[in-house]
Order: sequence, then C-alpha cells, then structure tokens
Amino acid sequence: MDAALIPEGAKRCSFPKFMLGIAIVGAVLLWGVYAMLLCWFKGLNQTNMNDYYGFALWIWADLAVIAVGGGAFFTGLLKYIFKIDELKNIINFAVIIGFICYSSALLILAIDIGQPLRGWFIFWHANVHSMLTEVAFCLSCYFAVLTIEFIPNILENRQLNKVPFFHHLAHNMHGVMAIFAATGAFLSFFHQGSLGGVAGVMYGRPFAFREGLLIWPWSFFLFTWSAAAFGPCFTLLVTRITEGVTGKKLVKDNVVHLLAKISGWMIFTYMIAKIIDTWYWAYYTAPGLGFELSHFYTSNGFYGYWILVAEVIVCGVIPGLLLINKSTRENPTFRLVAIVLAVIGVCLNRWVMVLQIMAVPVMPFDTWALYIPSWQEVATTILPVAYGIILIAVAYRYLPVFPQELELNRRSEVRES
Amino acid sequence: MKVDRRSFLGLGIGAVAGIAISPVGAKLTDDFSIWTQNWPWTPVPPDGEVSYDRTVCHLCPGACGISVRKIDGRPVKIEGLDPYPVNNGGVCLHGIAGLQYLYDPSRVKSPMKKVNNRFVPISWDEALTMVADRLGELRNDQKPDTLACITGSDQGSVPGLFKHFMAAFGSPNYLTMPDLESWLVRTAKTLHGDAYTLGFDIDHSDFILSFGAGLIDGWGSPVACIQTMGNRRQRQATLVQIEPRLSNTAASANQWIPINPGTEADLAMGMCAVLLKENLFDPVFAQGFKGGFMRFTAMVQKEYPLDKVAGVTGISAADIQKTAVAFAKAKMPVALPGKGRGEGAQNLKEFAAVHTLNCLSGNVNKQGGTFVKPLPKYLNFPDPVQDAVALKGAAAAPLAGSVQELVTRIDKSGESPVKALLVYNANPCFALNDPSRIRAAFEKIPFKVCVTSFMDETAMVSDVILPVSTFLERMEDVPSKAGLAATVVGLSKPMIKPVFNTRSPGDVVIGMARALGGDMAKNFAWDSYDACLEQVTARIWGPLVRKGHVVLSENLPAGSVETDFEFLAQNPETVKPAGDLEFTLIPIDYFRVPPTVPAPSPFAIKTVSDRILKGTDMFVEINPQSAKNLKDGGFATLTTPAGSVPVRVHFNDGIMPGVIGMVKGLGHTLDNKYVSGKGVNINALISPKIEPDSGMDAAFGIKAGISKA
Amino acid sequence: MIHDKKAHKYGMVIDLDKCTGCGTCAVSCMSENNVPFKEDESDKKDSITWMRVYRLTNNKPFPDTEVAFLPRPCQHCGGKGDHGHSPCVSVCPATATDYGYDTGIVSQIYTRCFGCRYCMAACPYHARYFNWWDPVWPEGMEKYLSPNVSPRMRGVVEKCSFCYHRYQLAREKAYASGSDEIPEADYQTACTTACPAGAIVFGDLNNPSHKVHQIVKPDPHPDPLNPDVVGKSRNPKVFRLLERLGTNPKVYYMSEREWVRKLGDHYLDGEWDKVKNVYGSASHE
Repeated sequence: MDAALIPEGAKRCSFPKFMLGIAIVGAVLLWGVYAMLLCWFKGLNQTNMNDYYGFALWIWADLAVIAVGGGAFFTGLLKYIFKIDELKNIINFAVIIGFICYSSALLILAIDIGQPLRGWFIFWHANVHSMLTEVAFCLSCYFAVLTIEFIPNILENRQLNKVPFFHHLAHNMHGVMAIFAATGAFLSFFHQGSLGGVAGVMYGRPFAFREGLLIWPWSFFLFTWSAAAFGPCFTLLVTRITEGVTGKKLVKDNVVHLLAKISGWMIFTYMIAKIIDTWYWAYYTAPGLGFELSHFYTSNGFYGYWILVAEVIVCGVIPGLLLINKSTRENPTFRLVAIVLAVIGVCLNRWVMVLQIMAVPVMPFDTWALYIPSWQEVATTILPVAYGIILIAVAYRYLPVFPQELELNRRSEVRES
Repeated sequence: MKVDRRSFLGLGIGAVAGIAISPVGAKLTDDFSIWTQNWPWTPVPPDGEVSYDRTVCHLCPGACGISVRKIDGRPVKIEGLDPYPVNNGGVCLHGIAGLQYLYDPSRVKSPMKKVNNRFVPISWDEALTMVADRLGELRNDQKPDTLACITGSDQGSVPGLFKHFMAAFGSPNYLTMPDLESWLVRTAKTLHGDAYTLGFDIDHSDFILSFGAGLIDGWGSPVACIQTMGNRRQRQATLVQIEPRLSNTAASANQWIPINPGTEADLAMGMCAVLLKENLFDPVFAQGFKGGFMRFTAMVQKEYPLDKVAGVTGISAADIQKTAVAFAKAKMPVALPGKGRGEGAQNLKEFAAVHTLNCLSGNVNKQGGTFVKPLPKYLNFPDPVQDAVALKGAAAAPLAGSVQELVTRIDKSGESPVKALLVYNANPCFALNDPSRIRAAFEKIPFKVCVTSFMDETAMVSDVILPVSTFLERMEDVPSKAGLAATVVGLSKPMIKPVFNTRSPGDVVIGMARALGGDMAKNFAWDSYDACLEQVTARIWGPLVRKGHVVLSENLPAGSVETDFEFLAQNPETVKPAGDLEFTLIPIDYFRVPPTVPAPSPFAIKTVSDRILKGTDMFVEINPQSAKNLKDGGFATLTTPAGSVPVRVHFNDGIMPGVIGMVKGLGHTLDNKYVSGKGVNINALISPKIEPDSGMDAAFGIKAGISKA
Repeated sequence: MIHDKKAHKYGMVIDLDKCTGCGTCAVSCMSENNVPFKEDESDKKDSITWMRVYRLTNNKPFPDTEVAFLPRPCQHCGGKGDHGHSPCVSVCPATATDYGYDTGIVSQIYTRCFGCRYCMAACPYHARYFNWWDPVWPEGMEKYLSPNVSPRMRGVVEKCSFCYHRYQLAREKAYASGSDEIPEADYQTACTTACPAGAIVFGDLNNPSHKVHQIVKPDPHPDPLNPDVVGKSRNPKVFRLLERLGTNPKVYYMSEREWVRKLGDHYLDGEWDKVKNVYGSASHE
C-alpha cells in the first residue's frame, strides 16, 4: 500500500500491521493529549504539585529526556568534529532520538508553566542572570539545529529524493553538517550545563547548591559531561530496542562497540568527577552551611542513602566499568545491562537534582515534603514516549535511517538461504 | 488565470511567508499576552476616593474600636482604631475578617419561613405578622410565660429591648448564653451581692495567677489581653498559668503548672487554706468579710489540706505552697478564673474559689488587682406597661436558670412547657454541650423565631428567621465586658448600607411589638431603633455620638465591698468529668476559631493549623507518653459517654499524659462550604452536667477512650 | 515619576517572645492584599499565605515542653553580599521578580510572571506561592477587594511585597508635602499595624532614627566568618532565618530564649556553643 514510500530494498511489515501498532501507541498518545488539554484549560491544579513541589515529575522528565537526548550532540561532535567516521552509521538515528527528546522537552515545558501563552516572555523579558533563560535560548536554538540535522534524512525519503531540488538540498546540507554539528555541540554544552546550573545556583537550597567556576556551579559541568556520557548509551539502548522490535540487525557491532567504549570512558571519568563533587559537597559545602549529610538522607519515608548508592555506584561506576572492559563491552548481555543501568543512572541523577531538592526541608523547623504525581502528570509524561515511538516507527519505515541496514540484512538473508 | 498545482503551491507558500514576516503574528501574540494578563473572570476592584470611618466591632465581647477603610464608600479593610480605650489600635483576625461576614455565603438574605422543612423567602410584613399572630395566641391563651427568649449576652440596648419585650409580653423566661461576663456577674453575686461584676486590672498587676484563663487565647477582651501580655515582661509582671495543656498562654508564661483537668477549684481552695493557715491574708480587707468566713476557714483547713489537694490536682504540695505564698506576697496580685475563653461550661465553685484568693489577698478595688464594680447602668428603659396578662405571666416562676436547664425541662416533659422561643445572637444548637439534645428539645417547641444574620445550626431548626444586619451595617451601643478593668461603651455605626434585605435587631424587636399591637405596641412607641437608642442612652448620647465611645468607669470602684463566704463555706461539690474511661477529653480554646456567633470566617479557617484540621479530619492532641499504639497523624476513634467520632492523632508533648485535647468551635453544619463540614464539634461529645448551685452546665470535660481506627 | 533621594532598606524585626500565634498578621495581610481562599485550605502546601505563622517547639518531653511562634513573611533577601541577587530574583527568567535597590524590597510583577516556579524552588523560606487555581470569591464578596493590589490570575507566583502599595502612598504623600523623607509611621505594613501584641517592628534598616534600626543595629560590614553575610545584627537576641546561607534577609527575629534562636539556623554538633555569642561586631560602628 505504502510500498512506494519505503526505502528501496528494505523489508517492512505490512501496512495494516504497522497501522495497528501505531493505533495502540496512538491511543496512549491521545490519553496524554487529553491530560495535556486538562492542564492547559483547567490549570495546574490538575497536578499534585504544590508550593513545596513547584518542580516535580515534569521537570524531571524534561531534564531526563534532554540528558538522554545528549547522544545527538555528542555523536555529532564525534562524527563531524572529531571525524570518527564509523559513527555515520548511527548518527541519523542519534539525531532522530535527539529531535524527539528536545521536542518533547519543549512540549513538557509548555505544559509545565502556569501561563503557557506568556511562555515567550522568557525571551522578551529575558533575565540574563537566570540559568533558565540560558536554557530557553540554547534549547530553542539547539532544537532548530536538530531540525536542520534531521531534514536531510527526511529528504532522503524515496519519493522526496526524486525531486531534484530536495535531492541536492539534502546532499548539500550533508556537506555543511559539520557547521551545524559544531553549533549544536556548542549550544548543547551550554544548555546541558545550564540545566545543571538551574539546581546548582540555588544557594538557598543546600542540597542543590554547588560552588563552581566563575558564574557556573560544578553541576553545570557535571550535567554537560553526564549528558555526553550517558546520551550515547540511550542511543544504543533505543537502537537495541528497535533491533529487537524489527527483528533485524541495524548497526554493525564495531560501531556499537566504538560508541559503547567512548561512552564507557566518558561515564567512568564523569563518575570520578561526580564522586569528587559529592564528596566536596558532603564534607565542605553542606557542613559549611550547618548541614550534616544525614540531614538529606534520613527522617523521611523515601529518600535514603540507597538513592546515592544507586546513582553513583550501581548505575554509575558499574556500567562505566562494564563498558570500559573490552570483554564485558563486547558481550551483548553485559553491554545491555550496562547501558540500561547507565540510562537509569542519569535519570536518577536528574531525579535527585530536581525532586529530592524539593523534598529536603531547609528551615530547621520544616518537614520533608513528599508527593505522588497525579494521573494527569503521569499521562503527560508518557505522552512524549508515545510520540517518540510513533516518530521512530514512521522514520524507520520511510526513511533510510540506518545506512548499514541493507548490507547487514542482505548478508543474513544470504546466510539463511 | 489558470490555477495549476504549481501556482497554487506557490501562492500558498507565499501567503504563509508573507503572514509570517508581517506584523500580524507579533500583534496577535501581543494581544494574546494582554488577554492572559486581564482574564475577564479575575476581578478588577474599582478604584475611587479613599475614606476612613470608625466604629466598634461586636463579633466578640472584646468590643474593640475599629477603623474601616472605604473606596467610594465601599469598605475594603478593617483595622484597629487608635486611640481607643479598649484596644488602642490593636485588632484581631476575626475583626479584620469582618468584611467577609457581610458577604458570607450563609447569610440570611431576607425573612424566611419554614414550609415543609424548607425555608422560603417572605416579606418583612408577612414575617412580622406571622410572628405576632403566633405570639399573640399565647397572650390570648393567658400563657405569655410560655414564651422563652435566649440572647447571646444581656448587656446593651438590644438585649435590653428583648428584656423589655419579654417584660411587656409577660414572661420571666429570658435567658442568656454562658459567656465569661455572665460567669463573672454570677461570681460577684455569690460573693458580693447583686448588680456587681468583676474586672481585672491585669495591666498593672505584678503577679497574675491564671487558673487556665487563656489570656492570649481569647479570654476576656482578647486584643486588650494580648496587648497587656505583650508588655508584661517589660513590666516584670509574673504570669503563672495553671492548666492541663501547654496553651499559648502557658507557653508564654513564666511558669506553667500542669493540673489534672477539672480540679482547679480544689487547687484554689487549697491555696486559700495555705493563705489562711499562714496568716497571709489582708486583715484590713478582711474586715469586710461576712457570712461564714470562720466556717470557711475551718472548712478549707479540714477539707483542703496540702497533701490531699496535691493528690487531687497532681501538683506537688511544695509547688502549691510556693505559688500560694508568692501570690500572697506579691504587691499587686490578681487571680483569674475562667478556663480558656472563660465561656461555655465552667463552674461557679471554681470562679468563686479563685476570686476568694483575690479577696484574701486584699487586692480588691486597688490598682493591679480585682475590681468589684457595679454593673454599667447607662441605659434607661421606661418601665414596661404590663397589662393583666403580662403581670400574671411575669410573676410566674422562671422555668430555668440556664439554657441547658431549660432544655432539660423540655426534655423531661411530654409536651414542651415552652410554646414559643425567640433566639437572638446565639447558636445554642452548636455552642452548648450535647447540641443534638438541644436540637431535639427545640424541635418540641411549637414555634421558634431566630433573629440572626446567618443560617446557623439554630436558625436551621427555627420556623421563622428574621435576618438582621451585621455589625458593619447597623448602629448599636457596644458595652465592653469580659473582665476589663474599665467599662467602655462604644457606638457602632453603619459602615455600609445593608447588603441584603435585613434590619437592625432593635428594629426587629420594635417591629414584632408593633405587629402584636395593643399594649405591646405602646411599650415600643419609638419610631425606630435609632430613636430608641438615643432615648435610652440619653445620659451619654452626646459624647457617645461625638467621640464614638464613653468611658463609664476608669478609676477604681469607690467604696468598700463586703464579701460573703456562705456559698463556699458549705464546700459545694466539685463537678467532675463524667464517666469512667481512661482519658479526660478537654476542649481547647484556639484563638483562630471564634467561640460561638458567628461561625468562623473563611480567612479564620484558612489560618487553622493542619495539626488541627486536615481536609475534613479533626485532630486531637495526646501526649506521646500515653499514646500506646497510636501513631502521630494516624487515625483513631474517640469515644466518650456521649458518643464516638473518628479523629486523627496529633502528638503534643505539651499536654498532660492522660488528657486528650480537642479544639472547640469546628464541625459546623451550616450552609457555607468554606467553614462547614470541617472537623468535629467537641460539644457533641460532652454531656451537660448541671452544677446544683448555679443551675449552669459545668461539664468542661468528659472521660474518654481512644483507640486505633 | 517620584524618586526617592535616599536608598532605603526596609525591613522588620519580629519579637518571638511577644508573638502569641494569634494569626492576626496573616489575616490582615490576606485582607490588605486581596489574597484569595478556597474551600479547603488545610493543605498548607497549596494555601496562599504571604504571612505564615510556624509553630516551633523545643522538642522536650512533658513537662519541659516549650512552644513559640514564628511569623514568616517574604524575607526580602538582599542575596549574597547583599548585592540584590536574592535567591529568587537571580533565577527568574523573565525578570518578573526584581530587587528594588532604592527600597530593598523584592517585587513581583504578576502580569509578567509566566509561572515557571523556579523562584519557588530557589526560596528556602517557602515564602512564594503559586496560583494553582483561578481566584474565586463567593458571590458578592469581591466587593471588599481593595483596588491598591491587583488580584492575581491563575498560573502566576505571588508573595509578600512588604505592602509595597503602602510605600507608594507614603512616598506620594511625602512628595505632595514637599518632603523627601518618608516618616516612619507613614509606611508600615498591614501585618505590623495589625499585630495586637506589638511583636512586629517595621522601618528603614538604614535609618538610625527608625526603631527597627535601633533594635537590630545591623552591621553594614560582611561577617568576618562568612563574607556572604552582611547586615548581621549586633543585638545578641536578634537573629535571622538561615543566615548562614548568605541570603541576607531583611526580616530579623528576636527572642530571649536560646532554643528559639538556635532554631533559626542549622548547626553541626557543638557548633552552636561556639557561635551563639557571635554577632555583628561593635568595632564596625
């Protein structure tokens, strides 16, 4: 039915089967859209946020998708600036994932603010001292860059590519992509960092506050570093899932091993920095303000030391080591465990840096504030996931996302026959 | 021109590009943002000329002077009036929230009558005619004394008009709610004779011995008391607070002495014994001691020895001795009776025993002491002209000495001895112990008229509601009460025209009398309440209008007073909490929840702690030491002989083990979602217990059990 | 435009030994500033109370328990080093909250706020409140609203303004009378004038003739132990909330009771005994 649109030589499932899948995920998407509309028309009273939990599930989701979307800028950087050519085989997919993550982030922000129609005030009345201003500018610009990076891939669609103009446009855009990749990397460095800065500059919140370099708290650099480190893991994870769902190998092992290795070293070095940061904060920054470390991890029903151990050791150091070590890295099971742990780890870090900050009491006579999100919050948080699945499905079906797909699968077909 | 696909696309793209770079987008965005800044459903208060007007608050017995800020005549803010002899610029949250009462959702907007258990609006004429017809029947039947009347207080010209109405009608059954002033008058009557009341010069006292008086929790004239307490430390005046729970007053005191609930009278008697034994009483003042002083002395020595009192009260003998001696040796000591706000169920024995300490100290009618002062007499009502029916009725014996006693009478009779009831500015169906019993008794009364501003619990059981203007909409004299040293009469004036179809309560009484016609009408020949007020306050009317208030007595009351010990010499029995359960439940008077009428404002409810009220759940306080398997914040069932309710538990180290505290004044059921259905009315858990000597309900607390829900 | 010639630094000192916890300041504030209310206000985490009264206890068992009350308006922080970079002002992306260098007051522009709530996250005092709902008054009750303070719409953050409109009125009055001095009595916040216990004193911390200055005796120099802290009180009974964070609030508290003063900030074991008698140095006079 839609055969004319499918990349030449690629095998895809039947159109009805495809549409059935889309319909199921689409239903989830509509549920999210309904919740989104509730939030817009009835206001944020639809959530379980409150004056203690001004930042909650959404801001976590926002920071998490941006962190895991960091695979796009980092892979781009490696491919176009550091000229690691093998990565061309995964860069398209990294860009699509990034595009999904960043468009989701913008959508979440549009739901999260109390006056969405005034959202543009952040540009119009910008306060240059605010980390959020930096986030907004860089995020929007980088989203534009990602769109530009995504366009050539779209134009490579079998039918679009027949239009000579689109064909040449795509070709030429590929040619200048290094410039955009550089711009993207630059922008990403700042907005990933400024998201870390959002928490780090809050000197009224000792759990969040970090000292730093010039105007940037250490969390600024840690966020950039962690996005670069963990983003590729998410790219690999989504690739692995796509391979699982399609039942095909889409990216060659050497590419995967390479990205995993880079990611492993990034995670490992990041964890060293993170441990130093945590140690400095726990032994100097917080006690200097009168806080014992135990203040942040006891006397409440949820946030114990376990979360620190889970983030730093289980989902940080361990996946780092697994990916550095050649034998574990090249073992599909260990690698999968490592990338799953890594993705959980970075999400956990963002959770801690958003929600635990809100939960910790600051005034000596105040108490812990815990909250459970409302269904509207959960639905709107799942909404981008559904949207991402649909976009990936459509892109995979109609665009030549994986350059090695045909080669890998032709071989397997040959072997099978 | 042929429109092909290419030109169509071109045109489309061109149009989009054109609009995108045109100012249309920017303009629409701008309009949009302006719209979000002026949502039509967010009110924009109109601006106008600012003016300030002064009046007197009568939401509580405090009688503070207030200043009302208006915009083009529209009141927008209430503040304390400075100077004003009661509150000197101070004000409390309820007074400030006074404007909310103007527009309260539970306000009665026009006269109503009950038809098939529902209220329907009627005209004033119809309402007054209906009331007159039904009351007229009682007089026609020669039974005017079957009319009863309950008012919130008996001071001022409006209660005066109700009394005048009852006298002219021919009924002795005029009752008031048990407020602090009524207890003080009763105490003064018992010890010093008729027509006295007590005032406490805590402003100047250097040693305040408070038997649970919530000096910063709403006792007396709350703002005046809080101001006095505010500068207490500068004056180096000592406050010793005796009560089972660390109230805010106790928390601010120099010393908090926890006492077993309900044993305050025993402690006061024990302290009297100490003073008498150690010869620490004032011999000069003692010359005025009459009636059984010797017998009293002998009795307290015998019945209230230190060890025994220590055992009963739970306070060490040494502490009792030390405190009593410190009190007696202070230069200007004053002992204060009246637990919490001092209203509701208290007991005469306790008031009398505590006041006897004042008498023994000799610091009576002296600076920094207790003033035994004549009741204010600034009102001159003409003598009622009583016809034969009225004369006969008025001479009948009163049915009861208190509302609770009246309710018991009705309860016990097959047919109610009361055929008609007038209620003004009182909400007995909420504010007194065991309100369901009161409601049931009222149901038996064939005809009930409620003169009220709000559709409260008592209004809901009445047959006719005559809506009155709130204090901001009417003129009235407001005498200060409740234990102030000075007696101040303020004049409240309308700050705004009545918002609804309401009348001043004085006009309602005059209207009822006129509708009754005959001698009743003749007794109420005033054109209006305002004219009546001017006439009955003629002696002070000039300065009252000019200055807004008149200070009737500021100086020490002149002359000596005699003290009669007869009542205490008989050693009346102490009313103990009923039942045999493990704990004692006591009401907590919490400043942010007003005592009785009116119900709390939305603002007041908003300030209530989440450790008192959470959603609709009511918390009770319990000491963690006696909490057993209960959990802080957990659910429990509280049971007393009167009933059982679900509650939540709040661990408070500042309450005696074995005592359960519950805030009083919540659990309203009136039609106002901001204050109704929240928490539990503690009165529903306490059965009244009449103190024989006073005829008053003295059940301040009750035995209770609590278990995990 | 009327401009002040002098830079004021408005602030208050609240005597916690006088505070009775009656809640009058809170209601006066709500009434003055058109603060809305809703059916259930018992969830204090979504109840708009510019002035909130906290209950403090010494956490000792019966009968040694003690209780105090702490009213908490917006602290109008001067930020680290008192340079005006308050925790909230420095993070607002749309400049919807600003520091008034002429008054020391942290303002909130409701019509510019787009509701990101970053300021709320940054404020350790929880002095900022979000309008989760449209403000709705029962029928007719909107008639008591004051035109001096605009009611806020859903989706924006609000907080105590030190009754800024009263400052504007006082300034206009002074200007009309040809004076550039605003008399102490002319500018007082609604909570200050309402407090029946007289626990709140408000005025210009920069003006030695104002009572607040005389009580607080603020040290204009940075604290030698913590250079972020400026304006530490030289009165040993006076403290600020979370002073060590360097937020430099302009709301001071006062108590004779040591346990109350200790509850103003966090201290590591043994730290309190070392610092409890350290206050703004007299040598800086």
